[in-house]
Amino acid sequence: MAAVAIRQIRKSYGTTPVIHGVSVSIEDGEFVTLVGPSGCGKSTLLRMIAGLEDVTGGEIRIGGRIVNTVPPKDRDIAMVFQNYALYPHMSVAENMGFSLKLNGIPKSEIAVRVERAAGILGLSPLLGRLPRQLSGGQRQRVAMGRAIVRDPQVFLFDEPLSNLDAKLRVQMRTEIRQLHQRLGTTTVYVTHDQIEAMTMADRIVVLHDGKVEQVGAPLELYDRPANLFVAGFIGSPAMNFLKGWITVDGGAFFVTESGATLPLHSAPAGSDGRPAVYGIRPEHLSIGDAGGIAAEVSVVEPTGSETQVFAHVGGQEVVAVSRERVGVVPGQSIHLVPDPGAVHLFDAETGGRVN
Amino acid sequence: MTDITDIIRFRSGNAPLALRWPTQRFLVRVGLHVLVAVLALMVLLPFLWLVQMSLRPEDEIFSDAVLFTPTLENYRALWQGNFAGSFLNSLAVSSLSTGLSLLLGVPAAYVLTRWRFKGRARVALWILTTRMAPPIAFTIPFFLAYRVLGLQDTVWGLALIYMTFNLSIVIWFMQTFFAAIPESLEEAAWIDGCGVWRAFWLVTLPLAAPGLAATAVFCFIFSWSDFFYALILTRTNAMTAPVAIVNFLQYEGWEWGKIAASGTLVMLPVLIFTLLVRKYFVHGLTAGGLKD
Repeated sequence: MAAVAIRQIRKSYGTTPVIHGVSVSIEDGEFVTLVGPSGCGKSTLLRMIAGLEDVTGGEIRIGGRIVNTVPPKDRDIAMVFQNYALYPHMSVAENMGFSLKLNGIPKSEIAVRVERAAGILGLSPLLGRLPRQLSGGQRQRVAMGRAIVRDPQVFLFDEPLSNLDAKLRVQMRTEIRQLHQRLGTTTVYVTHDQIEAMTMADRIVVLHDGKVEQVGAPLELYDRPANLFVAGFIGSPAMNFLKGWITVDGGAFFVTESGATLPLHSAPAGSDGRPAVYGIRPEHLSIGDAGGIAAEVSVVEPTGSETQVFAHVGGQEVVAVSRERVGVVPGQSIHLVPDPGAVHLFDAETGGRVN
Repeated sequence: MTDITDIIRFRSGNAPLALRWPTQRFLVRVGLHVLVAVLALMVLLPFLWLVQMSLRPEDEIFSDAVLFTPTLENYRALWQGNFAGSFLNSLAVSSLSTGLSLLLGVPAAYVLTRWRFKGRARVALWILTTRMAPPIAFTIPFFLAYRVLGLQDTVWGLALIYMTFNLSIVIWFMQTFFAAIPESLEEAAWIDGCGVWRAFWLVTLPLAAPGLAATAVFCFIFSWSDFFYALILTRTNAMTAPVAIVNFLQYEGWEWGKIAASGTLVMLPVLIFTLLVRKYFVHGLTAGGLKD
């Protein structure tokens, strides 16, 4: 196990920069998720840690050693690829034992270690099979087995669950988390799925356009997003945003462009009249008959455990989530009442958090 | 005979289902089988004619009689003459040139497929252009150079020439096969502890084996069948089988029995090779883009 330190990492393809000076410190034994939309540079960053991409600038340390020019084979890392990358011509046991064989470990020990890893992952009956004879979930487990059999310093996961169906993804999510709790190996996990990031990570690094937007524990990011991007990216359904301005007049208020006046717990000093974006999570909007924001219901989506109500507010769509069974129908006029204690205010120009 | 109107009538429900449908299918199948048999016979006839001729006694060689007592006399005569040596020369030249072409061409194809460097596409095109010029254009330069180098009438000399022609084929064929192998497999091997060439040897090459087999057969057949260079550049020591066959066309008469027998023997390795790797051959030639 080892800590991973990334300092001012930059990456360019030709003259096109894709990562602009990213710095992240990953503690020994920590599970860190790199999350962001497609093209944000998260996979490139992971591949630079693995040694599969050259580093244009900055420094990567694994266990205190600078590894910028160290080839992948000498970094003592294991990686699980999105497409599993199992060797098609080798059996499950050979796939899992390949790295040990390359390192000159005796056959008897390889067999013991492969058996042990297969036992952990429930792969023991499949050791003689070829990858093409396995289901998607089994292949995924073999890819993980190949990683854990080596007992490396760092595990790298590159969107390992994106090829699985929804049910299996949830199951594997738990299994990976359990595996980390059991082995305690430093893990860097890349995903574009914010739910995966939220449920698995000790800390999340949100990337956007090759820059770090925010680093923090999952609930920290959820409860206090640093900017509009993180606020919109973390959480499903996404946070609602209403444009307007802050008014301080015998109390703090936010006036939306559609004219609704919404109470605020407090307003930052000197923010009277300041243009801002009002962010409120769907579960912090309750449906009432008066007050709040007047809206017209467009779609009602009951999921069983909760009901999502989509409504129009002055040409903009707003979503509210209720744990109760809500008896509203499309076309109905309702009032969405925000919880003033759960309001996020962002600067209209920079997108940075102001409250 | 099956008529399209019958099928339409059947489809529209005017015919008793249980009776008409199996009959039609049967007729179509028989028709197809007959067609395939006729086509196969047309293609195979020259070869079959050659083989049966090689088994006929000398005095019955052009006889119309379908039935005859087969004899191995022609083959025995070949064995007793110089043909066996030429046959071995052909085997040596073809195997050597195939081996050398693969040895040089396969790593080159891998580098051209995987490594990104300036002028990569141009280098690949240059290699291909070496195959575009007609072989006859190189005859005199080769002849003169080989006289100076002492490579005339040697197995190595001939193998080197075939290699120069085969190399571009190997490089272009193998590029397609390597491109079909996901790069992430090599990356996984690097992380597992391989260097670039070890990953190539242990992961990429075994996965490209079908393509390799198809390419090797191509090279072998090209070298094995060449007549032109073998005729110009060999006399006695390195004479190959195709050239040796011509020697049976003599001033005193043409030895049809030996020509047929040696022709059959020359066909044999190509046939065996193709049959052995035909599964890979078809797969290999269609593999590009099939893998995810």
